[in-house]
Amino acid sequence: MIWLDNVLVSPGEGGVYGEHILKGYRVWDPYRSKLAAYYYLGGEFELRSDQVVLYLGAANGTTVSHVSDYAGTVYAVEFAPRPMQDLLAVARRRTNIVPIMADASRPEAYAPLVEMADIVYQDIAQPGQVEIALENSIFLKRGGRMLLMLKTRSIDMARDPKEVLSVSREALESGEVNVLDVKWLDPYHHDHAAVLCTLQG
Amino acid sequence: MQSYWFGDIGSQGFTPFHGDNHEMEERLLAITPVPGRVVPLDWSTATGAGVPDDHGEYIRTLRDFCFYLAEKRIADLYRSRDAELLQMVRTLDEIDEVINLLTERAVEWHRVKNPGFTRKYARIPRDKILPRLRKGGSMAFRQVITDIEHLSATRSALMKEVSVRADEVMPNCSALIGGLVAARLVSQAGSLAVLSRLPGSSIQVLGARTALFSHMRGGTPPPKHGIIFQHRRVHNAPQELRGKVARVLAAKLAIAARLDYYRQEPVEDFIRKAQETVDNAGRSR
Repeated sequence: MIWLDNVLVSPGEGGVYGEHILKGYRVWDPYRSKLAAYYYLGGEFELRSDQVVLYLGAANGTTVSHVSDYAGTVYAVEFAPRPMQDLLAVARRRTNIVPIMADASRPEAYAPLVEMADIVYQDIAQPGQVEIALENSIFLKRGGRMLLMLKTRSIDMARDPKEVLSVSREALESGEVNVLDVKWLDPYHHDHAAVLCTLQG
Repeated sequence: MQSYWFGDIGSQGFTPFHGDNHEMEERLLAITPVPGRVVPLDWSTATGAGVPDDHGEYIRTLRDFCFYLAEKRIADLYRSRDAELLQMVRTLDEIDEVINLLTERAVEWHRVKNPGFTRKYARIPRDKILPRLRKGGSMAFRQVITDIEHLSATRSALMKEVSVRADEVMPNCSALIGGLVAARLVSQAGSLAVLSRLPGSSIQVLGARTALFSHMRGGTPPPKHGIIFQHRRVHNAPQELRGKVARVLAAKLAIAARLDYYRQEPVEDFIRKAQETVDNAGRSR
């Protein structure tokens, strides 16, 4: 990852969403992107140009655009039409993004379109986001990394976020993945935890 | 044999599929595996089986197809009959907010110029307040008043259109609670498809999000009604029956929304019986 004077940046064509440009690099704002926040908090999660990324919950393509600056190919899955319109605009100018309009909870629907990935990244606001992550772990290569942005308030708004995290963690570990790292994304994003996993065995 | 968008990989090697985007789309539906039997494409083994090994070219073709798919799905969704209704009713509610804000501000402004002005005891109806303010104001002030009046006219016209459109798109719901409130329900749910899948208990509290969450978090009393409070049979019901009317009405609305979504026509028999049930709920003790 490229840091300029403690500012996280990514190399690529600017002007995607009005981001600042620093010495020709695109500034990656931790308050706007949970992945950037994870890096700011010391998260070790490598993105390289020889990697294939499966990105679930691509939304407007803000974070996706930064990921595409670093990664080789990004399969960007988004379900809702409104953000998809924006994502298409981003993907049109970034030829390593494959935009897929599909429901991340039905991986079989897009399985014929995607390929095995070095990284599965998930940022979706769904109560069943842990189950969805596990269903999508079939696309993860051995030794690959899966990074979940856990929205504890979406999973169960009535329960304490810490409790939601520990339940989610148990569900992940009984579902054939190992949890390598957990970080709360405060102060950048409240009640959000980044959970880094890898396949067991 | 494993099937992917670009062809099949089997024991006899690789069989490419040739076709345009439309043909590929049909093929994609046909080859979608059953859940749990997904075999993802592993690029390194696929090239060994005879798949052309130019990944760049592969991605270019795939992207072209995926853009086609996404654009088509977006267009299909926006063509659904409730998509415009949703925008219309949200615009209407936002115009309302703007009118209220500007009117309040204009009254404050007027008050500064006329210290004796008060709305207390004067019983000035909403539609009479603006002409009274206009007198004696500056040019810019009168212009603001005129603009509020124009917005009000726009609002009335839009409201009629919303009602008419709601009657077309959701005849059963509209018959039960009126086109405007029905349209607001769709707006809260996000689409008629979503609304038609909601249980009555959710429809009952649509639009009462704050009260519902504070109930779930902190044990405050649960909300009796959300948007459906705007319907006369709910807000006119005696206090102790309001929750009951709201519950019965919401249950009937859940059925009505399903009829609207799947049958897309008014079902007179259902409407008559549902009206009766709701009316009875408001009467009995």
